[in-house]
Amino acid sequence: MGISLRAALSRATFKASSQFTGAVEQTPMTKTAKPVRGAKTSKASAGKIHPIVIYPFKQPNHLSDLESLYGLVARLAAKPGSYARPITVMDRKTYYSMKGHREFQDFRTNTVALHSEIIDAWCVDTCQMWYVGLGAAFERGGENDVYWLIPGDFDYGTPAGQEVLGGLHDLPEIILELDQDVCVGEIATGHNNSKHLIDTYGTFALLYTWFPGEAQEIRQFTERPRSEFFAVRHSFLHEVLTQRWYPYEQTVVMLLQAVFGKKRISRFFVGSVSDLPGGSESLAPALQQVERTERVLKSMWRERNQYRGDWIQLYRHLETQSEQVRRTASTILQNHLT
Amino acid sequence: MRAINFICHAPQATKVSIVGDFNNWNPAANPMKHMPDRSWLTTINLKHGHHRYAFLIDGVLSLDPHAQGITRNDMGERVSLVPVS
Repeated sequence: MGISLRAALSRATFKASSQFTGAVEQTPMTKTAKPVRGAKTSKASAGKIHPIVIYPFKQPNHLSDLESLYGLVARLAAKPGSYARPITVMDRKTYYSMKGHREFQDFRTNTVALHSEIIDAWCVDTCQMWYVGLGAAFERGGENDVYWLIPGDFDYGTPAGQEVLGGLHDLPEIILELDQDVCVGEIATGHNNSKHLIDTYGTFALLYTWFPGEAQEIRQFTERPRSEFFAVRHSFLHEVLTQRWYPYEQTVVMLLQAVFGKKRISRFFVGSVSDLPGGSESLAPALQQVERTERVLKSMWRERNQYRGDWIQLYRHLETQSEQVRRTASTILQNHLT
Repeated sequence: MRAINFICHAPQATKVSIVGDFNNWNPAANPMKHMPDRSWLTTINLKHGHHRYAFLIDGVLSLDPHAQGITRNDMGERVSLVPVS
């Protein structure tokens, strides 16, 4: 949707304080200007965009957030020339926990199933839901296609959330227009937000321990290496799907694989949006996310280095450092989130 | 086409221009004007889509710290992204 009003206003504030750099749409629109000589021509692609919605594991009490989300899905479904039929992945546990709720059943039948294909699956966690959805879409896709993951458990019903929804389409479009392999969407968070704390003291600290060179490359693009907002090109998704699918933190894994394979990475700011209530704002899930990140990084490191003669000595050395990093992260998270 | 204002805060710079896909990364194509608040400004008409760009501050390619995105150009350099609706 281009530069948002909120972003423009935010930038206008920066401008007023003479601390501003950036790009802002000028109003009114200029419609008479000739095309700039030498302008880039977008790489036309016949590729379709495959939206994959991850239905919230825990059904929210109010449907406003999901209604906003499926408003977007309805708009995408109405453009079959650009978008494949959207997919919604729904965990069977979610389904059975809500089976007696009339409102849920109506919403599932009259909205979710109307605008998307529901894939019901028994999943151990969200990462498995991603695997199910991305895998199903991939099998229907083609060489030039792009796969766009849309997490369902955010407060899209708020004005800020609706603005985010309005701009999420930039992620797959960047891949198509600029010939990228993966585009990560970044959301704004405060310095004391649990996501920010986890990424700063957990994810990046652990990445710098296990994969220091790759961590630097990733951080050149994003401060949110666990983002749930991303789009990925067909050929790169093929590589990702056919390699080992680790049980946690798929965006981190994908970014590492992108760096290993020298893929084209982009990052795009999608706005300010929060997890639905019951998300990961408290200490226990925050600690769990740090522990999961450590587990997946250790697994990846072992898989990449187990053929070296001295790998176990180096592994034990890194494991000691990693434990210190994790303990420090736990202390910081405990200080901020309790 | 939309007119986009690009503003770069580089108070100590003597010469700033903007380079991007829209001007074939030509440093001479879009010089920026020094404003009274010591920022640098230029306006460029851009068509719908996503455009890669960077500021050239006294010859040094610089990211826009307030850009909406980051990617790489065809030279493999990190550059900024602007969407135009």
